[in-house]
Amino acid sequence: MATGRYVSDLDRGDVLGPVEYALSPFVVREYCHAVELHQDFFQGSVDQIAPPTMIHLEKLRLYRFACPAGTGPDARVHIEFDATFHEPVRVGERVRVSGRVSDREIKRGREYMVLDIELRAVSDERLLMTYRDTVVLAYRQKQAAAAAEGSA
Amino acid sequence: MSMPQLQVGTELRSAPRQMTRERMRWYIDTHATVEADDGRIHQGPPTIHDDDAYARSQGLPGIIADGMVSTNWILGLLLEAFGRDFAERGRLRTKYVKPIYENQVVVSCARVNRVRKTPEGETVYELEVWCEAESRDKLTVGEAMVFSTVR
Repeated sequence: MATGRYVSDLDRGDVLGPVEYALSPFVVREYCHAVELHQDFFQGSVDQIAPPTMIHLEKLRLYRFACPAGTGPDARVHIEFDATFHEPVRVGERVRVSGRVSDREIKRGREYMVLDIELRAVSDERLLMTYRDTVVLAYRQKQAAAAAEGSA
Repeated sequence: MSMPQLQVGTELRSAPRQMTRERMRWYIDTHATVEADDGRIHQGPPTIHDDDAYARSQGLPGIIADGMVSTNWILGLLLEAFGRDFAERGRLRTKYVKPIYENQVVVSCARVNRVRKTPEGETVYELEVWCEAESRDKLTVGEAMVFSTVR
């Protein structure tokens, strides 16, 4: 078990969360403004929903919950986003997010970590989204590996 | 909703957009703003997406865009084509194969690879998606699945 300190300490099998909360209209609008999604259904005119890409912030929510000391010594680099949206995430609905580190391994000198996340409705456990997030834990490793490959 | 007929081989392309420092910053500010959820904009600690000195300390030549910016631009392109249906159900996978640097011009693209009908009468579109530079080099690649209720 490697939760409780830094994100860089996390290891395969670690469970993050669950965390419960309700999405506010404000955060959905701000997120959409930031990424220039101007559709009415995100901006809150009627039946406001969250953009499915907002699931990315659930990773950060889980990191903060499970790793209060922060990122660790190096900046992570996001490598892959893979989301399946089963049902719309409605603003105001209480949801529960949980995650599990499904993989952490070194490939060609780069350390990858995969986090699988589920988002469910608290009221009836409906599965709203599943998300797989892949990061490289340090860009510098990536550069060193590239240099090593180049000199090989 | 009126939707153009999308067939296998149909290609969608956005207008070019420049990855400005402001656009990179907007995304990073969502992290602290969403966490606080108090009606105000917040800024978090320095990241490789908004602080040149920090980015250089991590071995980068300067700030790079969070991959989620290009993912969201691809989402926007698909929402223009498919509307709310794609915000409610589907799949989107994106992989960041090259960094996007400050002021790089990016075009978001999608190509229909497969179209099929479900027994329930929905149309399912399978698309290749990507973001490309002016040189046409792919910066972000991936795929999407769209369930459309338009018959």
